[in-house]
Amino acid sequence: MKTDTVKLQRKNLMTDSMKLQRKMRIKENIPLYSMLILPLLVFAIFSYGPMFGLVIAFKDYRFIDGIMGSEWVGLRNFRMIFAQPQTVGIIRNTLVISLLTLVTSFPFPIILAILLNEVRSKFFKKATQTVLYLPHFFSWIIVGGIIINIFSTNNGPINFIIEALGGTPFQFMFNHTSWMSIYLGAGIWKDTGFNTIIYLAALSSIDPSYYEAAVVDGANKWKQITKITIPCLIPVIVLQFILATGKIMEVGFDRIYVLQNAMVRDISDVVSTYIYEFGIQSGNFSITTAMGLFDSVISLTLVLLANQIAKKSDNALF
Amino acid sequence: MKISTGEKTFYTINNIVIFLVSLTCLMPLLYIVATSFSSGAAIESGKVYLWPVDFTPAAYKVLTVSTGLFKYVWNSVVVTGVGVALSMIFTIICAYPLSKKKLFARKKITFFIVFTMLFGGGMIPTYLLVKELGLMNSYWSIWLTTLISPYNMLIMKSFFENIPDEIDESARIDGCSEWRILLQMYLPLSKAVIATLCLFYGVTYWNMFLKVLMYINDSRGYTLPVLIQQMVFQLEQIKLGTSVDLNQVAGANQVISESVKSAGVVVLIVPMLIVYPFLQKYFVKGVMLGSVKG
Repeated sequence: MKTDTVKLQRKNLMTDSMKLQRKMRIKENIPLYSMLILPLLVFAIFSYGPMFGLVIAFKDYRFIDGIMGSEWVGLRNFRMIFAQPQTVGIIRNTLVISLLTLVTSFPFPIILAILLNEVRSKFFKKATQTVLYLPHFFSWIIVGGIIINIFSTNNGPINFIIEALGGTPFQFMFNHTSWMSIYLGAGIWKDTGFNTIIYLAALSSIDPSYYEAAVVDGANKWKQITKITIPCLIPVIVLQFILATGKIMEVGFDRIYVLQNAMVRDISDVVSTYIYEFGIQSGNFSITTAMGLFDSVISLTLVLLANQIAKKSDNALF
Repeated sequence: MKISTGEKTFYTINNIVIFLVSLTCLMPLLYIVATSFSSGAAIESGKVYLWPVDFTPAAYKVLTVSTGLFKYVWNSVVVTGVGVALSMIFTIICAYPLSKKKLFARKKITFFIVFTMLFGGGMIPTYLLVKELGLMNSYWSIWLTTLISPYNMLIMKSFFENIPDEIDESARIDGCSEWRILLQMYLPLSKAVIATLCLFYGVTYWNMFLKVLMYINDSRGYTLPVLIQQMVFQLEQIKLGTSVDLNQVAGANQVISESVKSAGVVVLIVPMLIVYPFLQKYFVKGVMLGSVKG
């Protein structure tokens, strides 16, 4: 009994001193909190504010009534999305384009990083890296402008080369297959170099003694790459892959908008362009918000799912 | 260690492959610059590849005369300059407190911010918010909705966390306030990360397209990317014969739409080409820091 009361007393004392400490800590932190107020306000208004605006996905939003005053319609907007073949097609396009982008653009940075890692001249490595990172900083307006010029049927250099070789000019941007290839290729061109950075960082942390030992055992370059380099990269590759799957519903607006044309609309209309055109330009706020919400929820689920999987391999993000 | 012949061939082939890959990154740029400085006749006969043929700056003349280019350049400069300054200030005052381990509820506040990377209201609710706040047709709509990128904030935060606590403590003993520690101790030590984030924010603002299209209704307020995008599209129309002939508009002969489009793209690229080499040595570190720490 006695020990129990002592314990209890001690516990009370502890919590009291902890409370005091906490108070002191908060007091001591006041200048830091005052610094944080404005940034947090910005997040509250411009990031969390729109999240409350999402209720219009369940309403029939009319500008005169405002967000609060508009009438509730339950899941009608969602039912409308899935009842229209056009919108179902847009969701399908979004998925197909992102999956294709993931599959085609994922391997290139890994290969290029392994090759760059084997370059021995420091100057050559630096110079090529400078050039390879560059396209990442160009907007899709720039990349789109270049692509439209290069593949143009009027005076485009590709078609000039085809003609010079005796072929007939081809309308690259108007054909489904070639449009998709150009779309995917442009992504590879823009970001492969920049995405090598993370793999190069992983490669630079590999213990050089592995390679020395392998050379003593008579392993050639190919063996070194397949038996040492690639296995050492696997954790990073897995992590990057998980991150990429989390972005599967994310198809950028700019990229589609600048490359799209009337001939390929049926395969290139995606959620973001639909929201812009049907929502903002034509004022159908409720149904496009519902579409956006559907899109974000899937993305969020994928990120959380990916993170759960990553936890199992100790690569979790949060 | 001696290099075997097998290895020698490997290195040679590897260098050639990387050289070719870098060339594919460079060639489209050379082509665009070449067409922007070439005469229409040379482009139409397919002579222009990587070097200007019949060098002429006429396309730039047409571009400036027919679009009033400088006004849009100025708009872009304002959006980028003010935007980067505002974003840097806010990112720093957000990251600095969160980098302090003694800050109470620091994890919760960080999650409050990181969560916005995972889930957001999306295009329409943000648009309606901007509209209801009366920010339409003002660059504040662009600055305020782009102000703090959580990703950049995390880069800054991990950089601050790596600054030794002793610096902080010694300054505190000397009686420095938080602001003074931040401004006089931390910021001078953070030049690398500041340069990196200025580049990242600068590129974001300079390339801003959708937000300008959405929030700025008055075309006089457009920035360069929007102008160039519309020009590329409109010149397509000219070619199809739905608009006036370009040569008549500007009174310049021998210019075709391709070279004007190229000139527009070049104008968009040039500022980045000027800034990028100076900042390159910093951003690799920044990207690694950001990706590793998530």
